[in-house]
Amino acid sequence: MAMMPKRVKYRKSQRGRMKGNATRSNYVAFGEYGLQVLEMSWITAKNIEAGRVAATHFLHREGKVYIRVFPSKPVSSKPLETRMGKGKGEPEFWVARVRPGQVCFEVGGVTEEVAREALARVAHKMPIRCRFVRRRHAV
Amino acid sequence: MDKTLLLEAQIREHTGSKAAARVRKQGQIPGIVYGHKQDPVAILLNAHDFSEGLHHGHRLMDITVGGKTEKMIVKELQYDHLGRNIVHVDLMRVDVTEAVRVSVPIELKGTAKGTHEGGIVEQHASQLEIECLVTNMPESIVVSVKELGVGQAIHAGEVALPEGVTLVSPPEMLLAACHVVAAAKTTEELEAETPVAPEVIGEKKEEPAESGE
Repeated sequence: MAMMPKRVKYRKSQRGRMKGNATRSNYVAFGEYGLQVLEMSWITAKNIEAGRVAATHFLHREGKVYIRVFPSKPVSSKPLETRMGKGKGEPEFWVARVRPGQVCFEVGGVTEEVAREALARVAHKMPIRCRFVRRRHAV
Repeated sequence: MDKTLLLEAQIREHTGSKAAARVRKQGQIPGIVYGHKQDPVAILLNAHDFSEGLHHGHRLMDITVGGKTEKMIVKELQYDHLGRNIVHVDLMRVDVTEAVRVSVPIELKGTAKGTHEGGIVEQHASQLEIECLVTNMPESIVVSVKELGVGQAIHAGEVALPEGVTLVSPPEMLLAACHVVAAAKTTEELEAETPVAPEVIGEKKEEPAESGE
C-alpha cells in the first residue's frame, strides 16, 4: 500500500457525498506548473502512486514533483461469495476526495515543455479529466 | 515599469452577485477602485482588454472612470474555481510620486554551476515584496543562479535590486537552492516502509498471551 495515514481515529468510514468546487488547493502553490482536476472523484492511492512513478521516471531526477492530494479515506468491501449482513467489510484501499479545481500534482524546476509532457503522463493515470495549469499572475 | 495601459471603465450601478454574474456574461469584469481617501467606486472593465494587459505584464494602468483618467495599480485579482477567468479586480489609485508596496515575480536566469555536478535548482519563492515609486515598478526581479553550487542558496537579501527599489520581504527569505536529489523511491520500497494498516487512535493493542509453562 503506497500512501495511507499513519494513524486514524476510526478504521472505517461511510461513503459520504461530495458537492461543489475546490475552494482550497485550487492554484499552483509550490512548483511552476500543475495538473488541475476537472471532475469530482475519488482518486485511489494506487492512482496517485502510478502518477508519481510516471512523472519521476520521465523527469530523470530533473526538477521536482509535488503531490498535493493525500488518500485519507478508507474504502471497505466485502469478500467474494459472502452472504449479505454480518457487518461492514474490511478496509481494502484508500482514496483522496477531489473536487473540480483541485491541483493534484505540481512540477517545478523544468521547462514548460518538459512539465507538460510529465503532467500529461500523470493525467493518463488519473481516473478523471485533468488540465495543465500555470502559476497565476503576481499582483 | 514603464508600461502603462489605457483602459476605459464604466461606473457600475447595480452591485451584488446576480448583477455581477450578468455583466460577466457580457464580457465585462466587475471591479472596485479605492485609495487616496476618496470614496470607493464600483466599476466595469472590458474582460478581454484587461486580461490581455495583465498577460503582457501591465500592473500600472491609466483608467478613465466617469470622464476622469487616473493612475491605478492592480491590488487584487479574484479568479473562478478553475482559475480560468478573472471574476473581480481591486484597483488602487496611485500617484506617480508615491511609493507603493507590490509583489513582483522572481525570474531565475542562467544555468547553475551545481547542475553540472548532479544537483537541481529548486525555487522556493515565486514572488518578492518590494517598495518603489510607481514609475520604477519592475515587471520582474531577475535573479542570476549562475554561481550557485551544490548545497548553496540565494536569499532575498542577496538579490541586486534595481535602483530606487527597496526590499520589504524578510532578507533571510529563501529564494532558490541547489541540491542533489536522492533517487526516487520505487513502489516496492515505499510499500516496505509503510505498515499494512494504520494505527487506530485509542484502540487497545492486544498483548501477546504469555506462554504457560
